[in-house]
Amino acid sequence: MTPSVTSVGTEHGEYAHLSPLQRRYAGLAADDPERARLREQLISGYLPVAEHIARRFAGRGEPLDDLMQVATVGLINAVDRFEPDRGSDFFSFAVPTITGEVRRYFRDHGWSTRVPRRLKDLHIAIRSTLAELSQQLGRAPRPSEIAERLGLPVSEVIEGLQAGEAYRSSSLDEMLGSGEGKATLGEFIGGLDGELALIDDREALRPLLAQLPPRERTIIALRFFRQLTQTQIAEQVGISQMHVSRVLRQTLAYLQEQMAGLD
Amino acid sequence: MSLELYTTASTVVIATIRTVAADLAARADFDLDSIDDLRMAVDDLCAMLVRIAPKDATLRCRFTARSERIEVAADVDVEDGTEPPPTRSFSWRVLECLADDVSAEALPRELGQRSRMRITVAKNAATAQQL
Repeated sequence: MTPSVTSVGTEHGEYAHLSPLQRRYAGLAADDPERARLREQLISGYLPVAEHIARRFAGRGEPLDDLMQVATVGLINAVDRFEPDRGSDFFSFAVPTITGEVRRYFRDHGWSTRVPRRLKDLHIAIRSTLAELSQQLGRAPRPSEIAERLGLPVSEVIEGLQAGEAYRSSSLDEMLGSGEGKATLGEFIGGLDGELALIDDREALRPLLAQLPPRERTIIALRFFRQLTQTQIAEQVGISQMHVSRVLRQTLAYLQEQMAGLD
Repeated sequence: MSLELYTTASTVVIATIRTVAADLAARADFDLDSIDDLRMAVDDLCAMLVRIAPKDATLRCRFTARSERIEVAADVDVEDGTEPPPTRSFSWRVLECLADDVSAEALPRELGQRSRMRITVAKNAATAQQL
């Protein structure tokens, strides 16, 4: 899953001639006419790096052409944002930037199994109604409410929701993904002492919770200690309810597996 | 409406059972949070039962859908003297958060049968509007 940085890194020699261009590009004023030419040269020069990364994600249900495009977008971002003065090597900046772009693509478009186009579209249509309906209703919508909004039979909405079960991004990415929530929820562990006191296996649980990435820990705390619904958590953390659902399931499975292993 | 499933008590069947639960909830027009909660609760309760079941045990799940509420009662064969899952554990806390009602009971042993442990969860169709 994680493209090896070293295998790209060992090929640095091939790109050595681009380093001085990079420095010049970074030093030019935004309106310098030479910028566009240098930028193009840099992008096409480093293109094999993007291709290399795109290929590592091939065979996961998305066409290589699409992955190439996404990786190239990542490369362009890397070229534009790289600051040689910071002292780091372009590769150690570009590889994670490009990889991040491809991962985001999988997060948004990844389907774990082949799902017919019609169902994908249906699922996307359903997703598009959720935030607004939840807001109006003050809770997650029912299938009948989604059906009414979309002007579709309830049976189709149920089918589309089931298709959504086949949609998931890589569990690893979800676990490692950074919280981009609009709210900073801070450390919940300390504030959980009261609730944890009621749990006999808290000594096993506490270090596991402490190890979780902040967003995962926050979502678990809000759901199982503050008892918010998924929709309320989605609102607070600034991600979709479906995303909350995936994080909950994966994190819970991880915690329970670890707890069971400690018995 | 009620539906019963009999399976071997093995982790491989859990995905099927939770999918049945979610499907029943969707068709009963539960809101999406409640559908997902029930799916996770059923997953957890099956996992708890499978963990305490001896090899070759049978897992039995009965789903009962009434208006605005689904009850799932699942039980497995257990060795005599098996204690119900501790209610002060994290797993139990999770079940209590996911479902509206949760209970566990050791079923009295019937003649020629093994002892059984049952966990029951019930879920309402829409999350209460707290806040």
